[in-house]
Amino acid sequence: MDADALASMTPGRPVGVAIVDDHPVVVDGVRAWLATEPRLTVLATGDDPDEVLRAAPEADVVLLDLRLHGRLVLDKLAELSAAGRRVVVYSEHSDPPTILAALDAGAVAFLAKHEGREHCVATVLDAASDRPYVAPALAGAMVGDSRPDRPMLSDKEREALLLWFQSMSKASVARRMRISEHTVKQYVDRARIKYSRVGRPAATKAALLARAIEDGLVRPEEIGIYRSQASAEWPTP
Amino acid sequence: MSADPEAIRLTPAVIPVTGGYDGRAATTAVKVGVGQAAAAVARVSDRGARIVAVTIALVWHLAIALPAVLAARTQLAVPQVVLGAWLLVAAVGLLAGVRLLRDAPLPTPPLVGLLLAVDVAVFASVGRAQLFSPANWVWGTLAWFFLVVLWGRPVRWLLALLAAHAATALTAVTLYDATGAADLARAAMALYGTSSLPVAVFAGALMLGLLLRDRAASAAASNVMLAEREAAERARGERRDRLAVVSDAATEVLTELAQGRADPSDPDVQRRCVRAAARLRRLIAESDDVPHPLLHELRAAADLAERDGLSIDLVTIGTPPPLSVQVRRQLVEPLTATLADERDWARLTIVANPDEVVVSLVVPDRAGPDATGGQPDQGDGQVEYLYERDGEIRWTQTRWRR
Repeated sequence: MDADALASMTPGRPVGVAIVDDHPVVVDGVRAWLATEPRLTVLATGDDPDEVLRAAPEADVVLLDLRLHGRLVLDKLAELSAAGRRVVVYSEHSDPPTILAALDAGAVAFLAKHEGREHCVATVLDAASDRPYVAPALAGAMVGDSRPDRPMLSDKEREALLLWFQSMSKASVARRMRISEHTVKQYVDRARIKYSRVGRPAATKAALLARAIEDGLVRPEEIGIYRSQASAEWPTP
Repeated sequence: MSADPEAIRLTPAVIPVTGGYDGRAATTAVKVGVGQAAAAVARVSDRGARIVAVTIALVWHLAIALPAVLAARTQLAVPQVVLGAWLLVAAVGLLAGVRLLRDAPLPTPPLVGLLLAVDVAVFASVGRAQLFSPANWVWGTLAWFFLVVLWGRPVRWLLALLAAHAATALTAVTLYDATGAADLARAAMALYGTSSLPVAVFAGALMLGLLLRDRAASAAASNVMLAEREAAERARGERRDRLAVVSDAATEVLTELAQGRADPSDPDVQRRCVRAAARLRRLIAESDDVPHPLLHELRAAADLAERDGLSIDLVTIGTPPPLSVQVRRQLVEPLTATLADERDWARLTIVANPDEVVVSLVVPDRAGPDATGGQPDQGDGQVEYLYERDGEIRWTQTRWRR
């Protein structure tokens, strides 16, 4: 696997998705969610990440159940992310430490299993274009992050995350914060981007950061503040 | 919903949860009590020893020294000084005794100075003839008054004072020229005999106090552990019971689905599935051994609402700091009215860090008047209350900031 995977998505072609889960019924459920969206196509499914990706090396996004055969596969997640695979983690383990560990390992997004129906399609689409997608469980984990090396969030970013986690409605958050829905999403996404500087380096994090800068979501100098934690081995976007 | 068999079967499991048992509060109370218990035990034991010391000093002074002085009055060199000194020491003993028993501080240095001055004065005015007689009352009595005025001080203070007393006595013996072997032996015996007992009482009381304090502290600490363990076991038992009930409900609906008796497209079946899943999720998320009172109250409210058929998501992020009952009430109460009134779904979240606790309840908005009971009492303004409805959701939020 190499960083070419990052560039493999071309406009006009449906986004290729690989699903890794050890419960066939869940695979079928996820497939059913994704089937509602013509821009997505499921290329391969299975319970072993390596086998699934051998079957579909061109997959743009990997949907990975964090718990496979009884163990948390954070190491496999890190390996895939370092190789440039866009991994969307979904798990019934939605406690903040697990979610943050998945982000640190390079997951581009995290979905609690019960959030799947509402957020799965949007998450995969955003992941395919290296854009952040923050579902409520992930917002909750970020807002409750008390680790000493956590990214510094602004008051507005923190408030937007908190209200989004609580209400699950960006319209309601916008009304409460007296800003537009678009701005709410910006605050939430900016908070997420700041997390791409935490944990071990991964090609996926660099790609998220690069896209955020390209989209004007953050300026390079804003990100520079968080460089202190990072090693010099950061891949240059 | 009262006809829902599942709701009816839930009842027994919910009752203990809503019974208001508060494990954390109980153990916190016991913890606070550890130091107090040890101090109280030590205080009681020390008070007994003080009474003993004061009583011995005054009784000896009154029952043994006074008759001896009065009987030998005419043979004393300067009887006025010996008698006056007796009166002075009696007054000092009374004052010090009363203050000691009332836990009031004693002006130790002046009292020590006074007693030493009395020592010298009595030896000087008792005369050669009565030097070793009971009329020279400082031999026997003074050490007990040292004890009273030095109570609670280190033992070395008492030893130093007794040494000064011995020096005074030996100087007097030498100056009176009573340096015969018999006289010196008498002096040594008197000094030893009258010092050893006060030292033993003083040091004994001190040691006993320390020992008891230690013993009481460890007893109280093991009580805390027991209370904590009991609270944890109770919480675990509660969860086991609820898990059994929730598992039964989930198994029932799954069995019906498997046997084709329930139709997956039936909204009612879907609701039962959603509810069973939400309950299981909530149980799995409860990882605390002894729930924080705030979480305990919110879970109890959620359980009650669930019993009425509400599908509820309860998510906790972070651990709340200790909160006063007043603050907890202001955080929880505005939400419970809405929760009790809701029949469809609800999302209850708690986000906590040491300086902030935010509780939020979101339910679907539907036509009708607000069911919040209006803005609650703002109290001391530590808890902020927000309520709004926008056609989609009704959102109640309470927020405490340190």
